[in-house]
Amino acid sequence: MFNMWHAFDYVVGLLQGGAGNLAAYLAAHVLLCLLPAFFVAGALTALVPKETVTRYLGRNAPKYISYPAAALGGFVLAVCSCTIMPLFASIHRKGAGLGPAITFLFVGPAINILALAYTGVAIGMDIALARAILCIAFGIGIGLIMALIFRKDDAAHDQQTVEAFAGGPRLHKSTPAVLLLLIALLVAGTLQVDLLTDSYATLTVPVGGIDRFQETLYDLVPFDASKGEEGVTAQGVVLIALLGLIGVSAWFGLNKVDEGYNRWTWVSLGLIALTLVVAATKMIPDARGVDVLLTGKMLAVIVLMIALSLVARRHLDQYEIQEWLWETWRFVKQIFPLLVVGVFAVGVIRGLIKPEWIQALAGGNTVVANLVGVLFGVFMYFPTLVEVPIANMFLSLGMHRGPLLAYLIADPELSLQSILITSTVIGKTKTWTYVAWVTLFSTLAGLIYGSWVDGASLWLFAAYLVAGLATLAVGLGWVRQRQHRRAATASSSAE
Amino acid sequence: MEVKILGPGCPRCKRLEQLAHEAAEEAGIEEATFVKVSKMSEILAYPIAATPGLVIDGEVKSSGRIPRKEEIIAWMKEAEA
Repeated sequence: MFNMWHAFDYVVGLLQGGAGNLAAYLAAHVLLCLLPAFFVAGALTALVPKETVTRYLGRNAPKYISYPAAALGGFVLAVCSCTIMPLFASIHRKGAGLGPAITFLFVGPAINILALAYTGVAIGMDIALARAILCIAFGIGIGLIMALIFRKDDAAHDQQTVEAFAGGPRLHKSTPAVLLLLIALLVAGTLQVDLLTDSYATLTVPVGGIDRFQETLYDLVPFDASKGEEGVTAQGVVLIALLGLIGVSAWFGLNKVDEGYNRWTWVSLGLIALTLVVAATKMIPDARGVDVLLTGKMLAVIVLMIALSLVARRHLDQYEIQEWLWETWRFVKQIFPLLVVGVFAVGVIRGLIKPEWIQALAGGNTVVANLVGVLFGVFMYFPTLVEVPIANMFLSLGMHRGPLLAYLIADPELSLQSILITSTVIGKTKTWTYVAWVTLFSTLAGLIYGSWVDGASLWLFAAYLVAGLATLAVGLGWVRQRQHRRAATASSSAE
Repeated sequence: MEVKILGPGCPRCKRLEQLAHEAAEEAGIEEATFVKVSKMSEILAYPIAATPGLVIDGEVKSSGRIPRKEEIIAWMKEAEA
C-alpha cells in the first residue's frame, strides 16, 4: 500500500513539473515576446515579396552580394519551412549556385525570428545573439567551402537564363515601418530597463479572494525560486484564459480572413491587444483586491499598438492586412499546439533526468561535450521552438552554455529527415559533405561561445572569424581565376 | 483548361488550390482539370523561384505568394477567351 502511494506521489510530482513549466513558458514576459514575434513572422511571409531578396541571388550576382543576400534571405524568407526547400533548390540550380544556396539553407532554420526571440526571452539575450551572429558567419563560411570543394559542379551549371530571378514586385514602401513597429513592440515588451519596468500609477481592483486563489495555485504547483522557477500566478491564469479565448475567436475570425473580416476577427484582434496590455502590467494580489501597476512597459505597448494599427490601416492595402493576419494565424495554428504539448512534456521529463548525467556528459566546455550537444540535436527531432525549452532544461540541469549553443544551432539545422530531403536536391555526396561541415562548425560555434562565457576575449575570436572568412573568400577567388585562365589557355591552344 | 498548382504540399499550396477551385467555379469554367505538382524536380522545370506557383494552360501566373481570388478569376477568363 505504501508503495502505491509513493508511486502516486511521484507521478503527481512529475505532472506538477509539467504544469509549472507550462506556466513559466506562457508567463507574461514570454507572451509579450512571442505574440509580436508571430505577427512579425506573418508579416515577413505575407508582406515581403520573395523577389526583394532573390533579385540579388541571380546567376551573375557577384559573390560579395550573393552570400550576404543569401544569409539575409535565410532570415527574411525562411520563416516557413515549406519555402526553404523550393528556394534552396532554385538558388542552387537556376540562381547564384551551390555556395549561396547552402548559406541560405544553413542560416534559415537556425535564426528565424520566432526561434531567435523565444531563445532570447526564455534563455538569455546573450545566447540568442551568439546564435544569430555565429550562424550568419558560419553559414557564409560553409557556403564558401562547399563552393570551393564542388567548384567543377558549379562551372558545369546549366547555362539557361532564367527569368525567375529577374525583377518582380518590390517591397511595399510602408512594410519596413510595420516591421519596425512590430519589432519595437517585441523589444519594449521584453527589455528589462527601469524606464519600462517602473510603475507610474497603481490601480486597485477590489476583487476579494485573489490572494487566496494565488496561494492555492502555489500549493497546486510548487516551485523553487532559487532555481529561477516562477510558479503559477493569478495573472498567469488570467493570461492563459485569454489565450484560450483568442484561440476560439481566431478559429472563427481568422481561419478565412483572406476572404474578408467578420465580427469574430475584431473580437480576436481585440483580445490579442488586451492580452498584450494585461501581460505588460504587474499584478500584486493582496487582502483588499488586486493592485494593478501601470508600468512604462504597458504605456509603450499601448502606444506602439495604436501606431501599428494606424500605419497598417492607412498605408497597407486591406487585402495585405488580411493576408498578414491569415499567415500569422497559420503560424500560430502550426506551431503553438505542439509547443504547449512539448513544454509540458519537457517539464515532466525534467523530473526524470538526473543532473549528474548531464553534468558528466556536457558540464564543461570540451570538444566532446560540444559534439554530444550537436549529435543530440541531429538524432532528436523536435517541432519548431520546442528546442528552446529543451535547451533551457539542459541548462538548469547543469549543461555548460557552450555545448548548449552547439545543440541549439544543430537541432533545427540537421535532422535525419532534413538530410534526406536535401540529398534529393543536391545528391548524396554533397549532402554528407555539408552535414560533416555543419557538425564541425556547430561544435566550433559551441566551443567559441563557451570559452567566451568562461572569460576569453571576444575581440580575439572576432578577429579569428573575420580572418577565417577572408581566407576562404580569397581562396575561392584564386581558384576561380585559375579556372578562367586555364579555360582561356585551353581555348586559345585549341584554335 | 489545365490548372497546375506547384508546391510540395504546404498549407499555402493547399490554400491556393482551394482558391483556384472556387475561382474556376465563379468564373463559370466547366472543363477545368486541376493538377497538383509536388515533386521538386518537376516544380523546378517551371521558371519560378518560390512556391506556391500557379500555372494556367502552361503559363506561370504567380509564384511565391497566394494571389487573390479575383486575380485568379481574371486569369482564367483571359485564358478562356
